[in-house]
Amino acid sequence: MSSQFELAQNPTDAISAVKFAPKNPDELIVASWDRYVYHYDIQADHGGKLLQKFEHPQPVLDACFGRDDMEAYSACLDWSVRRIDLKSGELTVMSRHEKGVRSVIFSATYNLLVSASWDSTLHIHNLNSPPGTYTTITLPSKPFSLSASPTKLVVAMANRSLHIYELDTLAKATAQPTIVDVEPWQRRESSMKYMTRAVACMPNDAGYASSSIEGRVAVEWFDPSDESQSRKYAFKCHRQNQDGQDVVYPVHALAFHPVHGTFASGGGDGVVALWDGVAKRRIRQYQKFPASVASIDFSSNGKFVAIGVSPSFENGMEDLPDGTIKVFVRQLSDSEAMGKKK
Amino acid sequence: MTKKRKRWPDLQQKLDRPWCYYCDRDFDDLKILISHQKAKHFKCDRCGRRLNTAGGLSVHMSQVHKESLSHVENALPGKQNLDNEIFGMEGVPADEIERHNHEVTAKHFAEEQERARISGNPVRGLFSSGTGATSKRSGWKRETVEDIKVHAEEFRKHKLNGTLPPRVDELPAPGPPAQAPGAPAPAFSPPGQGFPPPGAPGAPGAPGYPPGQPFYGGPPPPGGPPGLPQRPQIGGPPPGFPPFPGQNGHAPSAANEISASLDDLIADAKGAAAAAPPAEGPPEKKAKKEKDKNIHLVFYHDTMSPEELMAELPRYAAVN
Repeated sequence: MSSQFELAQNPTDAISAVKFAPKNPDELIVASWDRYVYHYDIQADHGGKLLQKFEHPQPVLDACFGRDDMEAYSACLDWSVRRIDLKSGELTVMSRHEKGVRSVIFSATYNLLVSASWDSTLHIHNLNSPPGTYTTITLPSKPFSLSASPTKLVVAMANRSLHIYELDTLAKATAQPTIVDVEPWQRRESSMKYMTRAVACMPNDAGYASSSIEGRVAVEWFDPSDESQSRKYAFKCHRQNQDGQDVVYPVHALAFHPVHGTFASGGGDGVVALWDGVAKRRIRQYQKFPASVASIDFSSNGKFVAIGVSPSFENGMEDLPDGTIKVFVRQLSDSEAMGKKK
Repeated sequence: MTKKRKRWPDLQQKLDRPWCYYCDRDFDDLKILISHQKAKHFKCDRCGRRLNTAGGLSVHMSQVHKESLSHVENALPGKQNLDNEIFGMEGVPADEIERHNHEVTAKHFAEEQERARISGNPVRGLFSSGTGATSKRSGWKRETVEDIKVHAEEFRKHKLNGTLPPRVDELPAPGPPAQAPGAPAPAFSPPGQGFPPPGAPGAPGAPGYPPGQPFYGGPPPPGGPPGLPQRPQIGGPPPGFPPFPGQNGHAPSAANEISASLDDLIADAKGAAAAAPPAEGPPEKKAKKEKDKNIHLVFYHDTMSPEELMAELPRYAAVN
């Protein structure tokens, strides 16, 4: 029942994000360094159908869906956060940071759009108010990754620091459209030694997983009690032994399965692995993709997983080899991403 | 912990499992084996009665059903005859037990190898380099009191003659020679086990472990150095040992008692053993460092994420 295919029309430069629509499991957006956000219907044709693409002035570093399947938001290197009307194709600037915008995320429970920029700020947009109204929160370091659970926002930053905000507090803070000083609910230091690469929250609101550039993934829980904190752990992955030397790849992508609560990790080695974070087991590992895995997302019903593959840009590659920028979509069988039976 | 052990039992656990003589299957415990035999091999196919042994079933067949049992049901070829009176693990011929153990052992190691290959972890008991077993202390022998007496006598002779045996830093390593019998072995590894070669970069001055050199064992070879580890030189740790706070105070005081009685000597040997673990610090750290060195990070930057670096590439910067 599980099958895998690649999209017929792929971006032409490195992929920064793949995201499924919140309702329709067939709709997918892909953000790319080629300055476009692509909108696909993965079921329409063989290899999916490109519905529309939206040009940006500069590379798009992240994108996410908004309140419904009709709107998306993008984080662009030109410092702007934009709303994309997927129907009309209209782009509206939501806010401007002072540096490139790294991540953008939408919380359906609080109707909040959060953008994170290398200017070390978060912009919190309450989508009930008109575009251009936003609240700024200053961060101690550059944010590298954002993830939201139903009630929490996790911001992974440089210097291995990590803030957990309560979305409720952030929603209240949006009453003031200025720079506000919001104390994070928790400040943490990454449990890994190296730079945090990605963070992803568990769909059940219990905790999050984070990954580092040194082939490692940590699983932690929100609950600050000692009992919960003692459950946290980290493990090595995305490594290859070559001639007795351990080649360690960064873990670029993390995504939780919305139904089973298991998670996928994607690394610079082009490998995607599924993990059961509770049982501490690897469920499966997929065959190597032709290049580094940049982004992973599960569809809202958990039936599909999209994997954005592009050459490992961390090597500072000057020219991109042809044919390795691809988005793969895998249809998961019912038990494929299921955790281990107790 | 227990769960892991269950997943991958070690060889002894596998060998300890009861197994069925007739079909070579193994079971968690004897009870299950017996019920298996009763259900699979000693069950009367006429009335379903479960007997305890093949002989019992044979008697049952002839008395109740007036039939004669020709062979044991579901048995592997060659094991169908009724002559062997098997009940659980009782009555299994010795050569069969040996054959089974041999098979289990072979299978166990094949599985370990395979698992190591798949998981990428070192085989249990081995370092990742694949050399040396952590649990086997080859070449090391616990000294008996007699050995110690011999050493002590020799030492006193040397002391009188002024020909002290070589100092500890010339000896292989401070071993735990006079350990009380039954005391747990110190948790450091014997030589030749994947420690980096002496003089490897990373920890200059750390005591090199000459690979393959045995720990202190048995009576000393004639004319050779006595097996007891010698105290560090008076006035500080011997060259090659980084000064350890705990050891610093201990070593000279121990050395002062050098001419003490046999009892003192034994006590001191214990002290040396006690002082040994801290001295193990550097080589261990060294091994770890070496391990760290042997990895290659595909991406490394202190403060800049891959995206930031990429954004600085000319092809993207051009549009800025």
